Amino acid sequence: MSSIHQHEQQWIEGQPTFGGLTDQVSALVENKTPRGWYIALAVSSSLTVVLLALIGYLVTRGIGVWGNNIPVAWAWDIVNFVFWIGIGHAGTLISAILFLLRQQWRTSINRFAEAMTIFAVICALIFPSIHVGRIWFIYWLFPLPNQMSMWPNFRSPLLWDVFAVSTYFTVSLLFWYVGLVPDLATMRDRARTRLKKITLGILALGWRGGNRQWQHYEMAYLLLAGLSTPLVLSVHSVVSTDFATSVIPGWHTTIFPPYFVAGAIFSGFAMVTTLAIIVRQVFSLQNIITVRHLENMCKIMLVTGLMVGYAYGVEFFIAWYSGNIYERFTFLNRAFGPYAWAYWIMISCNVLVPQLFWFKKLRTSIPVMFIAALLINVGMWFERFVIIVSSLSRDFLPGAWGYYKPSWVDVGIFAGSFGLFFTLFLLFIRFLPIIAMSEVKGILPQAHAAVDPSAGEHHTRRS
Amino acid sequence: MMSPDHDLRADMPSRRRFLSLMSASLALAGLSSCRKPVERILPYVKGVEELVPGIPVPYATTMPMGLDPTGLLVSTFDGRPTKIEGLPGHPASLGASDIYMQAAILNLYDPDRSRTVLHAGKTSDWAAFTAGWKEQLPRLQERRGEGLAVLAEASSSPTLHRLQREMTGRFPLMKWVNYDSVSDENILTAARIACGVDARPLALLDHAEVILALDGDIFYSESGHLRHASGFATGRRLETSEAGMNRLYVVEPGMTITGGAADHRLRLEASRIAPWAHSLAAELGGLGLSSFAGFTSFATLDEASQRWLKAAARDLMAHRGRCLLIAGRRQPVELHLLLFALNLELGNLGRTLHFVPMEHALPSSLAGLKGLTEQMAAGRISHLAIFGGNPVYTAPADVDFAAALAKADFSLHLSDRVDETSARTAWHLPQSHFLEEWGDAASAEGQLSPLQPMIAPLFGGRSVIEMAGFLATGEERSGYELVRESWRRLLPVAGFESRWRALLHSGLHNGSAPVPVAPDPGAMMAHLRNTPLPQPGESLPEICFQPSALLDGRWANNAWLQELPDPVTKIAWDNPARISPALARKHGLANGDVVHIKAGDREITLPVWIIPGQADESITLELGYGRTRAGRVGDGVGFDVGSLRLSGGMGFYSGVSLRSAGGRHVIACAQEFDGMVERPLVREAGLKEFQGDPHFARHDSEIAAKNLWKEHTYDAGFQWGMVIDLTACIGCNACTIACQSENNIPVVGKEQVAIGREMHWIRLDRYFKGGEENPEMVYQPVACQHCENAPCEQVCPVAATVHDHEGLNVMAYNRCVGTRYCSNNCPYKARRFNFFDYTGRMDELKKMAQNPDVTVRMRGVMEKCTYCLQRLNLAKNRARLEGRPLVDGEVMTACQQACPTGAISFGNLLDDSSRVAIARAWARSYALLGELNVRPRTLYAAKIRNRNPELS
Repeated sequence: MSSIHQHEQQWIEGQPTFGGLTDQVSALVENKTPRGWYIALAVSSSLTVVLLALIGYLVTRGIGVWGNNIPVAWAWDIVNFVFWIGIGHAGTLISAILFLLRQQWRTSINRFAEAMTIFAVICALIFPSIHVGRIWFIYWLFPLPNQMSMWPNFRSPLLWDVFAVSTYFTVSLLFWYVGLVPDLATMRDRARTRLKKITLGILALGWRGGNRQWQHYEMAYLLLAGLSTPLVLSVHSVVSTDFATSVIPGWHTTIFPPYFVAGAIFSGFAMVTTLAIIVRQVFSLQNIITVRHLENMCKIMLVTGLMVGYAYGVEFFIAWYSGNIYERFTFLNRAFGPYAWAYWIMISCNVLVPQLFWFKKLRTSIPVMFIAALLINVGMWFERFVIIVSSLSRDFLPGAWGYYKPSWVDVGIFAGSFGLFFTLFLLFIRFLPIIAMSEVKGILPQAHAAVDPSAGEHHTRRS
Repeated sequence: MMSPDHDLRADMPSRRRFLSLMSASLALAGLSSCRKPVERILPYVKGVEELVPGIPVPYATTMPMGLDPTGLLVSTFDGRPTKIEGLPGHPASLGASDIYMQAAILNLYDPDRSRTVLHAGKTSDWAAFTAGWKEQLPRLQERRGEGLAVLAEASSSPTLHRLQREMTGRFPLMKWVNYDSVSDENILTAARIACGVDARPLALLDHAEVILALDGDIFYSESGHLRHASGFATGRRLETSEAGMNRLYVVEPGMTITGGAADHRLRLEASRIAPWAHSLAAELGGLGLSSFAGFTSFATLDEASQRWLKAAARDLMAHRGRCLLIAGRRQPVELHLLLFALNLELGNLGRTLHFVPMEHALPSSLAGLKGLTEQMAAGRISHLAIFGGNPVYTAPADVDFAAALAKADFSLHLSDRVDETSARTAWHLPQSHFLEEWGDAASAEGQLSPLQPMIAPLFGGRSVIEMAGFLATGEERSGYELVRESWRRLLPVAGFESRWRALLHSGLHNGSAPVPVAPDPGAMMAHLRNTPLPQPGESLPEICFQPSALLDGRWANNAWLQELPDPVTKIAWDNPARISPALARKHGLANGDVVHIKAGDREITLPVWIIPGQADESITLELGYGRTRAGRVGDGVGFDVGSLRLSGGMGFYSGVSLRSAGGRHVIACAQEFDGMVERPLVREAGLKEFQGDPHFARHDSEIAAKNLWKEHTYDAGFQWGMVIDLTACIGCNACTIACQSENNIPVVGKEQVAIGREMHWIRLDRYFKGGEENPEMVYQPVACQHCENAPCEQVCPVAATVHDHEGLNVMAYNRCVGTRYCSNNCPYKARRFNFFDYTGRMDELKKMAQNPDVTVRMRGVMEKCTYCLQRLNLAKNRARLEGRPLVDGEVMTACQQACPTGAISFGNLLDDSSRVAIARAWARSYALLGELNVRPRTLYAAKIRNRNPELS
């Protein structure tokens, strides 16, 4: 056995057989629904109901039910949008970029990370949709042919958002689904009820696990990974242009695209870590999602956290270096103005907390990384709050400045979006394999065991 | 008083329901149709001459504000008045307007106006009342009017004056009293002493090179403020850097817009102002004014104030015959007399100061009210008629009018609403609005002008004139007949009808200016020697009463005025006590903290607001709030300070105590930050610096940006532009409310203003500069700047805001989906968003005040200044139909038309001779935030202050 294989072996603990792994992962879906799941679903779906009810209230009464005002015309609505979109970055990064970089450890986490991406993007999409004053005309944002020959304004970054986010959502969904196909086929083969057989049969698209199918599958997966990779970078870059192309101090910044992407990966990994810790604990997947996996994610958080911290510093430097009095004021105001509390929450959570991960002891400690990941998500939400709200509240003319306070509806809708996210996630872990079985098997040592006389059949055994 | 917190909570559902959702009242739904008597509803058989449906017809009339009527030009659409402007040529308005003129249209359509006669609180009718009065008449005639009294507001109407004389002739023993709680009584008393006859001083600021105003907000709340503002601006046009400029000194206790406009301002408690003036007289005496040579200074002043006084005195002496001293109405008679004498001695009489005889005036008399109340309390008044006003609310606290009123057998109140007074009289009679009635008025300048109705009385109300005529004779004669009868004496008999028509057409009685009277210096000096000026009391702190945007409370139910941020505090919907930073520190108070203010055994509880530049020991209390029966808008808004207002201290008095009451009151302030944080927003220089570097204002924003793309040239047709002269702008708020009226801008209520959702398209940014003790205050009106390179247009995803070929940044409301991105990207934050449905369920009656030429915006869309696009189109179409080019000045924006100082120029930039093109070329014109390369169409002309070199 080569050293590479030894190395690989360490990713999955307990040396499971192919069948054992299939049994372990499939059991999560096939076993009787645990009571805890029902409780969790009850909580999260209640929150989803809150979300829907409050959206209804918003649409009936008007944007005024939020705290938004003039000058702060965007507030929690867009903060939440950017927050969720950011979270939605980890999934594709893990599936696409780490795939292309042959990072085999991704296989243990990519399935639910991708699912998380899709659910986060769904949550994100809610906010720009409901933030408009007249939601019943939102289709005007799409270039639909009409008798007035009235097209949207292609110069508006908000329109770029529409394309960027919808493209990202589509590709992420496809990528996730394509990756699911072999596992769906496994589930189909193991299904006992007719309904499951038919449903999974349809979803598995007739997968038999033949060599040709695998060949096509691998090619499709590679192409989708190639397609997704620029998207990971582009979505948040485009989102950042909402701000970067404006004239408002604190928004009008060329550093935004890379800074936003780094921040998005940062927050996405924090969310994946949070979910991974819960999932491996609840479903006893410690052998598949090992501490080493988590440690790797902590390293990524450390790196992206440093990038984000660097961006904060550079922003300050440029504000001073540019000699622009408005820019300077904006940054001093962030740190010492009426929203200083938000700024220092952001700095503490995003810059200080990840420094813990320099220490191996801390980045391999489950409680530490769990709390740190939660704090990073808090910090990243505040980053968007600081950028959006504090910049708008005090821009050019002091005569127009105004403090923003959220209303209870703002809070309710944000909480409700978590309800939706977790509802979708709970449904996912109940009905679909949360670990990419076929991919994990691909990194098991026996997948590469040339001594095995049945080596040629290993693909079939994987299913 | 309600506890502060309770107040706001109680506030929310009711006020919001009323203001923004005003539940469609079924009783009102059919109102507009009820207005037309069934038998008269016929289509025009022949078209009415000059009446084209949809084209507004302007009519001249007059707004009778006590002794200060102003000429109006009222736009009516198909017989429905919608917009009020000043009447050009009327000396009191000079074509401009103030906040009251602009807001008056809303009172006409106030749904809380009373609709029926009430007797003992029950619905009655006019027939019952007239029968009731006719029953009383013989008895009253028998008693020669004993026990009969009329209490009216001050008036300048020749007809009312005639009817008053007729009535008092018929009932020799009756009492006729005029009373306003905010009046020029002190000034008029001084003028009577000075001139020997009823006269009023008329200050002509346009002829004054040095002006000293003592405790008088002469540009905002004092009588003649429009004329003052206009005259002041005339003296500082500064078209070139060589132009001359007047200089304004202001001494005042609290910051006012006049103090903000001053070149030098000295803060001084109101009770120290008369002694200060005495010191000034002594100083002038020392400088050679012989009559004052013997005067001794008895004010104790610190060194800086001493220097200030000496410099001002020398400046006045250097401008003899070209200066003016003027004081506010709340200062004592003796101070006014002293200033008259000083003006006389400085040679200002006939130049900057006239005394105009008052021939038709019924001026307010506090003593009259006190006397009447005493008689009422003693049961000697059996029949009391109150015409207008609201004496139960406005009478001084030590004149218990409400209790005395109960003693009258027969009491009536003619009032536009069932207010605090009407609730206590036997009869309530609905009063017509001045736009519904015939009348006449004489302005402060002596200009006679008629009132003609724009619309039939909406609720069958009657005017004061009609009531006075009826009460005197028992005959119901129309206002039309009564007014014409008066004018038969004022106009030549020959050709009366044509002259009458000409009068109504022009709104002005030509050749009616009276000959000024000459004061008698001997009488003045004698009085001054006999009645020394009040000594400075040492029992500070003092309280000063000042009229608010609601004046004395009469405008309390006017939502536009309630929502209009005070020009100094920027507070809407409230009247906190204004205190100095020093007093706040002493008592550990912050903005919004609730305090008790105690004077003797009387106490009020209200929040405070800290105002830089307030005299340390002076507390300013605003009148007109805390009404209980104003209507749904005004009830319970703010705090009634009337219970501290005493007949011996209607203006101010010292010796009050202040202590914290604990608790906080939520105050809706439209501007959260007071300073300019060193930004070049209001660019300002002294006259000397300006002369040395005329282009100083342009240094910061001149950029030579090259665009990569071919740009639109905007070189054909009309290219609209605006210049706002910050040297002329005094911050009087007229533009804001004129815009609100013209453009159907909704009122959103206190709760919404408090969270930053006010809708005004043009706002006044007010900045304090310098320390909190002696700051300078500057104003900058900000509306959409119509940037040629507009940041809002680029970011709108649906292209709802775009540029037109005339350079206007236009909003397509129908296209707007409400992303609010445009507002975020607007560096001026000039855009407003309809967060709720502010207009959708508006009261049917209030809808009548809407301008039919302006789209009413629904919820969820952005709106902003359009440069009054509807006016541009109307004017362009008119010119096109008449086959002529549009003349410069023919089309004015609403803000421009209202502005009393002519600070706003507007017109076609391509016409080199247009006022705006000339103003744009002024050396001191600059683009606000021009460095952003947004290329705004609105420019600002830098503010220049003419500082006295001795003081700088």
